[in-house]
Amino acid sequence: MKKRLFVLMVVLLISTLLFAQGAGEKKKDGPIEITFWSLFTGGDGEFFDAMVDAFNASQNEIFMKNDMVKFDNYYVKLTTALAAKNAPDVVVVHQGNLLNYVPSGSLLALDEYVKPGMLADFQTAPLEACRFDGKLYSLPFDVHPIVFYYNKDLMAKAGVTKVPVTAEEFIEAALKIKKATGKWGLAIDNTTGVYKAYTLARLFMSMIAQQGGSLLNADATAPTFNNAYGERALTWLQGLVHDYKVNPPELDYDAAMNVFKLGDAAFYFNGVWATGTLEATPGLNFGASQLPALMGKEAAWAGSHTLAIPVQRTLDPKRIEAAMTFIDWMTSHGEMWAKAGHIPTRKSVALKDEMKALPYRSDYAAGAASALPTPRTPAWEEIYGTLSDMLEYAVTKNQNPKQALAEMEKTVKEIIATY
Amino acid sequence: MIPGNKDTRDGLLFSIPFLTVYLLFMIYPLFHGLYISFFKWDILTKPSFIGLANYKTLFQDATFYSSLWHTIQFVLMTTPTLLVIGFLMALAITGSSPLKSVMENTFFFPYIFSMTVVSTLWAWLMQKDFGLFNQTLTLIGVRPISWLTNEKYAMWSIALTTLWWTSGFNMVLFGAGIKQIPKEVYESASIDGATYWQSVRHITIPLVSSTTILCLILQIIASFNVFGQVYVMTGGGPHGTTRVLVQYIFETGFRYYKMGYSAALSYILFLIILVISVLQYVLLGRKEES
Repeated sequence: MKKRLFVLMVVLLISTLLFAQGAGEKKKDGPIEITFWSLFTGGDGEFFDAMVDAFNASQNEIFMKNDMVKFDNYYVKLTTALAAKNAPDVVVVHQGNLLNYVPSGSLLALDEYVKPGMLADFQTAPLEACRFDGKLYSLPFDVHPIVFYYNKDLMAKAGVTKVPVTAEEFIEAALKIKKATGKWGLAIDNTTGVYKAYTLARLFMSMIAQQGGSLLNADATAPTFNNAYGERALTWLQGLVHDYKVNPPELDYDAAMNVFKLGDAAFYFNGVWATGTLEATPGLNFGASQLPALMGKEAAWAGSHTLAIPVQRTLDPKRIEAAMTFIDWMTSHGEMWAKAGHIPTRKSVALKDEMKALPYRSDYAAGAASALPTPRTPAWEEIYGTLSDMLEYAVTKNQNPKQALAEMEKTVKEIIATY
Repeated sequence: MIPGNKDTRDGLLFSIPFLTVYLLFMIYPLFHGLYISFFKWDILTKPSFIGLANYKTLFQDATFYSSLWHTIQFVLMTTPTLLVIGFLMALAITGSSPLKSVMENTFFFPYIFSMTVVSTLWAWLMQKDFGLFNQTLTLIGVRPISWLTNEKYAMWSIALTTLWWTSGFNMVLFGAGIKQIPKEVYESASIDGATYWQSVRHITIPLVSSTTILCLILQIIASFNVFGQVYVMTGGGPHGTTRVLVQYIFETGFRYYKMGYSAALSYILFLIILVISVLQYVLLGRKEES
C-alpha cells in the first residue's frame, strides 16, 4: 500500500515536471507573452481589459497577460515585487508615486527604448512629469484631474440658469437649490470611509493654487499653506457644511457619489474617473466641466496613470521591446481609455473623431492644461493622507481655521523631517 | 516501542519539515524585524543604520499615542463583552433546552466567515444613508445613527461587529470547560435545593475559571491585534479616531515605506502584549493556587 502510494507520488511529480517543460516550449514558437499588473477596478477595469483584449487581437507577435490587483493593495504588492526583482514586464504607476521607485533604480530609464518621433506626440506637461534628473522613467497614459459635475434637472427646477464658477456663486446657487427643491447644493465628501476624504485635500490644494499660492514650496521641502490663501480655502469648505448647511456632514466618498447619482445633490466634485459611472446611471441628467476657477485662476489637482517598465534581474531586450510596443499602442489608443473618463495624453488621440464624439470628456479635456503637478517629495503620500485626515477634522468640527492651518503646518513639517 | 525504532531520533526526523518552515517563516522574520527596527529602510534602497532613532521618534509621535489609545479602547470594549456573551452562550448550549444544537450552530456560524466578508457585510448594514439598520430605524420613526462616520459611535460599531463575529469562539471554549464539570456536583447541589442561578454562580463560574483565564489572555491578544475590521469598515476614520496600532504599523510600512519605523512600532506592540500576558498569567495563576 505504502509502496503504491510512493509510486503514485513519483509519477505525479515527474508528470508535473514534464508538463511544465511542455508549457515552456510552447511559448517559444508562439507570440512573446508579457505580463502586466493593473490597479484598475470597478468602472475603469472594464475599459482597460477591453483595451488589452483589443491589443492582443490587433497583432500576433505579443500576447499581454493582464492581472488585476485590488487598488488598495496594489502598491504593497508592486513594491515587494520590485524589491525581489520579479515584477511584471509592464506596470502602472501613478505619476505622484514615481518618486518612491525612481531613486532605487527599480524602473528602467526609457530614453534609449522609445521609438523616434513617439515623444513628440505626447503633451508636454504630463510627459515632463515622468522625467527625473533628465531621464524618462515612464510614459503618461492619462491625466485625471478633479472636475465638476452638475445636475441639470435640479438646477432647472430651482431656476439656476448659470453654472456657478466662483466660490460665492456656488454658495448662492446651492442655497437657491436647497430652498427650491429641498435637496443638497453640494456633495463634497468629508469623512473617511473606504477611502479617506481625499476630495477635501484635492480641493484645498486646487483652491490655494487658484489664488496664486501653492501647498508646498517649489522644492517641496516646506508647507506654504498657512496663510490667507489657505484660510480662504478652508473657510469655504467649512462654511458649506456649517454656515450655509448646503453640503451634508459625515459624507464619505461612496456616499457622496450615491447622493449625486440619486439626484439628491446638485453639484459634485470628483476625479474624471466618475464620468463612466455617472453616465451609466439611468435618469441622471448631468453636465461636466473642468474644475471652475473658484478662487481666481484655473488650477486643479490631478493624478496621472503612467506606464513603466521595471528593472528585471536579467534584462531581455526582446521583452523590453514588446513592452514598449504595448505602451505605444495603449497610449495611442487613448480614445478607448477616455471612455472611462480619463483624459488621453497624446496629441494624435485628441484629433481622433472617436474622441471628439465622446460626451462630457470634451467639456473638461481642456482642464488638463491647468492640472497641478504632484509635489516632488517621497513624503507626498503621507502628507496627502495626513492632510486629508486633518481637513476632515477641521471641516467636521468646524475648527478655527487659523488653528487648523497652524496644526496642519506643524504636522507637515514633522512629516517632511522624517524622510 | 517498536524494535529498531528510536523515538527521539524519529521524532526529530518527523519534526524537521515543520521546524524548517517554522524557523524560516516565523522565527527568522521575528528577529529580522527587530534588526530592521534599527534602520531607515524604504524596502527598495539599501538600509542605513540609525540606532535607536526610530524608537526615539516613536515616543514623540502623537499618532502613535492616539493609535495606541484607540487600540486600548477597542480592547476595553470587546474583551469583557466577548467573555460574558461567550459564557452566556455556553450556558445556553450546555443546558437542557431542546433548541441547544440549533443555538450552538447559530452562535458559532458567524465565526466561519472571513474577516473581509464580515466587515464588508456590517459596513453595508451600518451605512449611514442606505444601510439596513438606518432604513429600519427610519421606518419605525427613530433618527438614523451615523454608525461608522461619527467618532462617538464608530469604535462601538466595530466592537459590535467583532462581538457578532467572534463570540462563538469563546462559546466553544467555555462550552468545553462547562462539560468537564462532573454532573454529580450539580446533582448534589440541586438535592440541597440550589436554584439554577445559584449553581451557575457557585459551581459553574468557579470551576471554569481556568478557561476564563485562557479566554481572557487569548482575547486581549486578539483585540490588541485588531486591524482588518477597522481597515475595511472605517479605514481608521472619521478623521483618524478609529486608527489602531496595527493599522498605523501597516500604513507606515507599506504606504509610507518607513519599514524601520514600522518594525519599531511592531516591537512596542509586541512588548505591550507580552507584559500584559505575563502579568495576567502571574496574577490570575497565583489567585487560582491560593
